[in-house]
Amino acid sequence: MDLDQMEVNTSVGQQEVNPETKPYLTALIGWSLQAIEVAARMERPFVVVGPPEFESYAEKHEIRFVGWDFNKLNEGSDQLYKKLNALGVEVAIPLYEECVEWAGALNARFRKEPRIFNRSLLLRDKGMMKRKAQIAGIKVGVFEEAHNKEDVVRFLRRVNDALLKVDGDVLDPIHVKPLDKAGSVGHMAIRTIDEIDLIEENAFPLLMESHLDGQEFSVEAFVHKGKVQFLNVTEYVRLGYSNFVPASPSLREKRPLIEEAVQQLVDAFEIEYGVIHPEYFITPNGTLHFGEVAARVPGGHIFELIERAYGFSAYEAQILCSDPKTTQEELDAFFPSPYDYKGYAGCLMVHPQKDFVNDLEVPDELEQNSYFEKHDLFTPAQGKVAERIGFGNHYGTIFFFGEDSEEMRYLLKEYEEYDFYV
Amino acid sequence: MPQPTGVIVERFEKALDDLDQAASFVKSKYQTDVYQEANRLIEMEDGLDHLFSHAERFEQAGVFQDGPWESADKLQPPLVAGSLRAKGLPMIIEVLSELRMLAIAEGKATNPTVSKEMAEDFLNEVMVLNLDILFPDASESTRIEDNENSEKAQKLFQFLISHLSSKALVKTLIYEIDRLTAQRPIMIKRIVSMIQTAKQMTDADSDPEDQQALQKYIAALEGPSPLSNKFKDLNTYRAELKELERNDLISESVSLAKSMRTTGLVAPHHATLIRFLSKRMPGLLTYALALNSKGLANLEENQELVQQIIRASIFPATRQAIYGLSLMLERGVLSHSPVAPGLRRLIELDIRPNVRKDLQQAGQAGEGLTANSLLVAGTIQVLGQPLGVGQGFNPTCQAARGISLWAQHAPGFLLEIIPRAARDGDIDIMFEGQTIHSENLQGGLAPNLHTELDPVSLVLVPHLDRIYSEMMTRVALRGDDGHRWVNPAFYGNWVQKGFSSAFDPLTGYVLDYPGFVKLFYATHHPEYNDDYELIYPNPVGIFITNVHGKLLGLHAISITRIAKDPTDEYRVYFYNPNNDGSQNWGQSIEPSVQGNGEEEGESSLPFHEFTSRLYAFHYNPYEQGDAYAVDHSIVNAIHTLAKDSWGKDYTWV
Repeated sequence: MDLDQMEVNTSVGQQEVNPETKPYLTALIGWSLQAIEVAARMERPFVVVGPPEFESYAEKHEIRFVGWDFNKLNEGSDQLYKKLNALGVEVAIPLYEECVEWAGALNARFRKEPRIFNRSLLLRDKGMMKRKAQIAGIKVGVFEEAHNKEDVVRFLRRVNDALLKVDGDVLDPIHVKPLDKAGSVGHMAIRTIDEIDLIEENAFPLLMESHLDGQEFSVEAFVHKGKVQFLNVTEYVRLGYSNFVPASPSLREKRPLIEEAVQQLVDAFEIEYGVIHPEYFITPNGTLHFGEVAARVPGGHIFELIERAYGFSAYEAQILCSDPKTTQEELDAFFPSPYDYKGYAGCLMVHPQKDFVNDLEVPDELEQNSYFEKHDLFTPAQGKVAERIGFGNHYGTIFFFGEDSEEMRYLLKEYEEYDFYV
Repeated sequence: MPQPTGVIVERFEKALDDLDQAASFVKSKYQTDVYQEANRLIEMEDGLDHLFSHAERFEQAGVFQDGPWESADKLQPPLVAGSLRAKGLPMIIEVLSELRMLAIAEGKATNPTVSKEMAEDFLNEVMVLNLDILFPDASESTRIEDNENSEKAQKLFQFLISHLSSKALVKTLIYEIDRLTAQRPIMIKRIVSMIQTAKQMTDADSDPEDQQALQKYIAALEGPSPLSNKFKDLNTYRAELKELERNDLISESVSLAKSMRTTGLVAPHHATLIRFLSKRMPGLLTYALALNSKGLANLEENQELVQQIIRASIFPATRQAIYGLSLMLERGVLSHSPVAPGLRRLIELDIRPNVRKDLQQAGQAGEGLTANSLLVAGTIQVLGQPLGVGQGFNPTCQAARGISLWAQHAPGFLLEIIPRAARDGDIDIMFEGQTIHSENLQGGLAPNLHTELDPVSLVLVPHLDRIYSEMMTRVALRGDDGHRWVNPAFYGNWVQKGFSSAFDPLTGYVLDYPGFVKLFYATHHPEYNDDYELIYPNPVGIFITNVHGKLLGLHAISITRIAKDPTDEYRVYFYNPNNDGSQNWGQSIEPSVQGNGEEEGESSLPFHEFTSRLYAFHYNPYEQGDAYAVDHSIVNAIHTLAKDSWGKDYTWV
């Protein structure tokens, strides 16, 4: 990204025209029906900035909409600010990974704090992110950026040399992930030199990291004025497949430690407003390793699980925390105590375990289990069946809710093995 | 133990309420839960009743919003079966959509664009189109295609039928039967099952007019004369025939023949009568076939051969061949010198075991017929009703078009390739100096042929299909539409060598469309083409569009004639091998099959409407008229029709 394109031009005239738009608008950056639904329900004036292909849908349903291609960066990028400013927008909320720096740039202009943009970039470059964490004294693995496959070979060797492996030993794996992709997109574990060939050329530049042992979990921290207002711990049963909210008692015991680490992260990254979604590894002796952090809606249906477990809308929380004008009283009234949950809400994301699927089989035992809430799996289309409608994913999700975290963990594990597609 | 229905019903109601209350832009988020619970209900006893009790809310709540089922007025009955057969979401939404229609039809719900009557018509048509689901027969094909959804579909249709008035359904059925019989297809299975269904559905309360209309068809199948009606059993009937005087035999013959001529359907008694007459009083055959003078002359000229054919191939199970025989005689086909020996050869042909098996499986089982009898009967039908040849459920329009063309103009050739395929398992056709043998080829468009076909198609299509595909493969990279070379080679010298196509097959660009239109007018329209008549059917390619004018695909048909219709308008008459010549193509373009001067088996359209769906045709380069004289307004009108329909899928340059 070319930074000087984004440089704040303080001489822009219209800023002085109406510094206090009443009521001001909130811009949702990225297309998310859930977020739109919540913003509408909050009766908050808002505008959606999304890919142009949603324009006709927005028009049909009378949603205020600005079409924007987030992948295009040029001299015209400034137009987005001008458009939103003219509409009276004062807050921008990023919903997806690719929107984070756009929201950062916009908020930098709205609040006249150029550094907000640079901070958002920190969240978009995994190399920079790690370095920043390391400088701040947060425990991270060994990492390096790689520009080609030779770099990866060297890093894999070096890490294993450091671990005093000799020829013939099984190597300790390293992890690679593209610098700017969301979550586990493009993530690969490399165990042998041969596997390096499997990395796609377009994955470079990427971040390489030594393998971290321990239990993985994520945190969703709602931050306002630099202070964590609510902190949820999501326990991963298997990354990318299953997780539940809140974390089980064994992990919950570590909350004070986790809270401290997250506040440290917030301070180090100078995060003031919004939601962050860091991932950590915790070793049995209680050492926390920082994995990475994002500042957007997390994947894995975590927001839905939070709503189910705690009874508040995480989207609403995100909107409230993203707005500097929200008062502390409002926030205090909004968030429950993190120990005050109704039960454990978990979900299993179903991936077909075959290349070719014919049919869906959901076992009766599952549907009748008292923890089972619902699923959105449909029998896959076969042959020349008309392509259907909005649900982009080829797989679906099964939602559970219950009193006991061990039972939850057991169910998620049990059905992760199950092949729903035959 | 399945969950109690009550729980699911409650969950469905909750999901529907949530959807109802959701803002319009976020319906899709809540639709999933409604579909999930509906799916559970569909599988349950009484589930449809529970669903239907909420059907009047579906539309308002947003069950169909932003999906293909959104606008009730744009739904199409022919697409229902496909969705129901599909697994998953399409099936679920389709069921919900039918229940919505039923709610409108019953006046429980209102819709701004669909009236009560329209909803009822829609459902009636859906029922008529899906008789096979409603009344499954035990045929091989239903058994093979049976899937778990057919049970759900059946449940749905039974539910619908219990709510619909049988009166309207019978009316729709009769309309469909009229429309299909007008085309005189060789394969009448569908017509028969419709007649039987209608018969089951009529009772004392039915409209007397409908009953009368239906009676004509029922009689045609079961006994159209007093005698055949009285003695349904063929053995008794045969015994009764022996007792009849000559005059009574004549009147029996006349009444059976009349029924056959008006409906295109033949009663089994007719076969008994024909066999009887052929043995005892061959002089009366002309009455039993209701021959015109040309037919009679042909019969007299070939008396012995006809009797031989009757002996070998006319049985109650092959009774439809009687209609074919009548028309064959009237077409004078037997006067072609190769035809008589060609037919005689078939009677004694040594048919390959696999072909014999195919023929017997497709023919009626348990009638004790030889494969030769079936093949001869089928050949007579094709020769008598060349436009009755259909492609069945196969994408083999080219092969069907070939059989039809040869039956009309090259019966000798047809009688040459039938034994080649049936006896040798091979057909060879020369293509650009090389011989293509079908026995060496694999694949084709229909590697798994659906066998609901007439015997000749059953024998020939597997070979023709592969040869046609092979030819198209060989010319695939020439940068022009391959039909230019393949059609004349495949169909024979009856196809003209000039060729024009509306679009470039490599780029998909539509190039010089006005020129294309003018050339078609100058070579085909009698007012511009210097009065050259179309002599042989012209195999042309058309864009098939749906009722909204949306492109569905390319299709092969043959122009049979161009002539003025009874209202003095020029029409293109054509043969459509898809067995249903009167589909709605959108933009008010609806081919008709009767009432506009069509002959049996022909479809027709006004000249300009036909042109707007044309994409390729052959012409005689030496017989071009005045392309420049074609009026701008005509070309522009066609241009607009084309651009607004299939043209949307192409780039216009």
